[in-house]
Amino acid sequence: MAASWISPPTRTELIENLVSGVDRYNPSNVGILEDYLYHQIRSQEYDCLANLAILKLYQFNPDLYNPDVVINILIKALGASPLPDFNLCISLLDERLSNATLDEPDPLPSLLPVLHGLHLLLYRCRFPAFWRAYRSDQLEGLRDNYTVECAGFEDSIREVVIRAVKSTFTRIGTERLSLYLDLDSPEELKVYIDKLGWTLNSEGTVVNIPPNPDNQIEAIVVQESIKLPQLTKVISQAAKP
Amino acid sequence: MSRPTLWSTADMDEDLADAVDVQLSMYAQQGQNPAIYDQLGTQIEQLEPLLAIQQHMAALAAVPDVVKSFVVSFHQAILNRDLPSITMFYTTTFPKLTDRFYSRTEWPEPEVIAPLLSSNEATEDHIHIFLVLYRDLYYRHVYSRLQPNIDDRFHSYENSCELFNYLLNSPSSADDESDEPAPVDLVLPEQWLWDIIDEFIYQFQVFCSWRSKVKSKTDDELMMLADGTGVWSSYSVLNVLYSLIQKSKINEYIVALKEEQGKEGARPAEEIAESISPYTALPLYRTLGYFSVLGLLRVHVLLGDFTLGLKVMDQVGEFLLGGSGFGAKTNKSSYTALPTLPATHISTHYYVGFCYMMLRRYPDALRTFVTVLNFFQRMQRMRSYSGYERKDQYDQIAKTADRTLALYAMCHSLVLPGSPFTRLDDNVTNTAKERYGEQMGRMSRGGSEALIAFEELFLYACPKFINANSPPYDDPEALASLLNVDSAETTEGSSPLPTDPTHRHLRLFLASAGAQSPLPTLRSFLHLYTSLTTEKLSSFLDLVKVDESDKVEGAEAEEEAIQEMMVLKQNSKSLSRVQGKADKGNDTIPAGVTARGSLLEGEMISTSDLNFVIDDNTIHIAESTIGRRYAGWFIKNTERSQRVLDEIRGSPLPRGKMGQKQGLPGTVATDSVAHAGLEVSAQKKAPTKTVAWGGAGTRATTDA
Repeated sequence: MAASWISPPTRTELIENLVSGVDRYNPSNVGILEDYLYHQIRSQEYDCLANLAILKLYQFNPDLYNPDVVINILIKALGASPLPDFNLCISLLDERLSNATLDEPDPLPSLLPVLHGLHLLLYRCRFPAFWRAYRSDQLEGLRDNYTVECAGFEDSIREVVIRAVKSTFTRIGTERLSLYLDLDSPEELKVYIDKLGWTLNSEGTVVNIPPNPDNQIEAIVVQESIKLPQLTKVISQAAKP
Repeated sequence: MSRPTLWSTADMDEDLADAVDVQLSMYAQQGQNPAIYDQLGTQIEQLEPLLAIQQHMAALAAVPDVVKSFVVSFHQAILNRDLPSITMFYTTTFPKLTDRFYSRTEWPEPEVIAPLLSSNEATEDHIHIFLVLYRDLYYRHVYSRLQPNIDDRFHSYENSCELFNYLLNSPSSADDESDEPAPVDLVLPEQWLWDIIDEFIYQFQVFCSWRSKVKSKTDDELMMLADGTGVWSSYSVLNVLYSLIQKSKINEYIVALKEEQGKEGARPAEEIAESISPYTALPLYRTLGYFSVLGLLRVHVLLGDFTLGLKVMDQVGEFLLGGSGFGAKTNKSSYTALPTLPATHISTHYYVGFCYMMLRRYPDALRTFVTVLNFFQRMQRMRSYSGYERKDQYDQIAKTADRTLALYAMCHSLVLPGSPFTRLDDNVTNTAKERYGEQMGRMSRGGSEALIAFEELFLYACPKFINANSPPYDDPEALASLLNVDSAETTEGSSPLPTDPTHRHLRLFLASAGAQSPLPTLRSFLHLYTSLTTEKLSSFLDLVKVDESDKVEGAEAEEEAIQEMMVLKQNSKSLSRVQGKADKGNDTIPAGVTARGSLLEGEMISTSDLNFVIDDNTIHIAESTIGRRYAGWFIKNTERSQRVLDEIRGSPLPRGKMGQKQGLPGTVATDSVAHAGLEVSAQKKAPTKTVAWGGAGTRATTDA
């Protein structure tokens, strides 16, 4: 679980060396990491540690700061909920960055609260509210300038939903699920759940979710297990003449 | 780019060389009375050397004799590489003299005592390095007992750079031509080495927080800050730590140790070290390298990089958190090749645990805290642990332990009630309840009260976060605008400034904790049923809402309850280093059991004893309960009765009664005779036997 997060299989050796070595502090490598980010955006990959390395370079070298990159990193991190990736990125965004070096006004300060809000909605599993907020007119800028570029952004959010639903439900109403997934037409929903291997009941109103470790419950009585080291004193006493 | 870069030691040399130059010119300006210097202006500069020497001689005359002889013997001890004496001077004599003569003033300036050091054996190099080490003590004293001014802040940085430069880049003495750096033949106690690294980071942190307060600076300070942008820069600090790690090859050393471990005929640690590099062969470098790894963890946490903090511990962490640290000596003999100091142990666990907390890996955080809090409790029981009879050092450790306890209390609430991880260690939990009981009560109830408690504890217990960069002191316009913005914001009475890193982390933490705040209530309802409809659950939840405006009706409320259930589900799982099943709730000592490998690794495990699933509109609930535990009770009492029995066997019979009853005064002369008497009397005289049993029994119970 954590292994693919620490080092995704899609990460190249070049990036691996940058992320794990001292070279990650070299400002002249920022271009390589930024290119890698845009590669992730195009090809639906995700590498949190590499993206954190970009933010680290920005933290130490404010003149490298590029708001578009930061926003894209945060957008990618949204899809990782409920893992703390989004918070880890925010932690590295240091003090208010002066925008004197930028040609255009910095879009980050206005978008940061928005992204924060979206992240919190996802973290609190308020999926319908997330889609409402995401589709609202106020967020047109975010959609048109950023998420539209990010291949499979909406699907990455749907995966967050699926993770939550899969572990909580054994059966879920189609109406509810389509709200969570923001898939209005029954056809779209059908295609989506077919892909997951989930099945509809005969009336088409309830989706059956196949069993997985999280949606199998069982009442267990935990019995204590006694380890040998706990008994060392007692046993050694018995061995005495 | 004016910053020194990390990947090239050549750049660093340049920078350090600059620092030395600056330092020399600055020292020239620093006299006993700066006011006089200001008045005399340029004139003084020509006369300065002479004046300075006169002043120094006068100052030296004023130094008490006992201090003078201390300096001389201290220097001699370092020259002779006499570790026991150095340790004694460092841990005992220096603090004692400080209390006696310098509790409110600085120690004599290094220039003042310099004339004391010339002797036949001491080369210029020796004197130089002693002065650097002396200055290290001098500034540490200024930071801990007095208020450092900007000169002290700059100079302590330069002195640290000089010390590290000396250690890392001294040319080899045997072959001066090659200019290749070689290890320095210096011996210092582990405690001092830890203090050097610890203090280096502490001064960096203090400097950064002082630097970020733009308003209260004088013109002189502004000018010096504008010029000295490289001083205490994050890059330079990281540079030092990474250089020490690389020079000492500490990670390679630890990997080699691990490989050797458990092998037949494993090589001794010393031999392994020698095979790696001439630097690794010396304990000084190994120790510094190891402490630098721990220092790096701390710097990364201060800068808000919690993943990188754990990542630098990749090699070291397994050793440190494997329970084989100080005070828990195991038979892993090769691991003891790494130094273990109480201060190191506690501080490192504090930072590792904090990282886990910010990564929302509460089970791992709790385990880390339990390990170290247990350790601290053991340490408290040892009255005066050698080297820690000094109160200030002990106080610092106790402070960190107390903050760790606060973090423990927070995580204890965050894993949700009923989790097996709340029962990791009842002893620690009870201590936490004694100390932070009131906050723990509020945190576990959830709601807005809980958030206030979380905030209180977070602000008390969190590390002192810093900003990586200086405010733009070198750019007067930007600085002025920053000042204006600041004052505008404060007059509007808005929330704390966004520049404050502590509050940035606090907000993130509270957002996570806040998302969990309805869960205790939700859980308490689920607890009562084995199945219920979502509709019914939502009506219960509606009842507990205090605020009328929060109330929502029917389907919407039901929907909200279901979404909250998903939150509960996702919060009953967590990444954890310990492999899942074996530890699920039934292990009494998971603190010592850790998975191998990086601290970032882990598996998803369930952290809750209450499991549920939603079947369309019905919730099914299953609870895991813990069977009654007998083993601990039986083991404890078996051991206790064994102790009682041993005590009876080992003690003589009561003398007076023996003598009287048997009427044989001769038999009580020696213990062995008395024992012989016991056997006789036990058989023949029942009353004597009961007396002996009763006496020993009472003693044993009072002991327990």
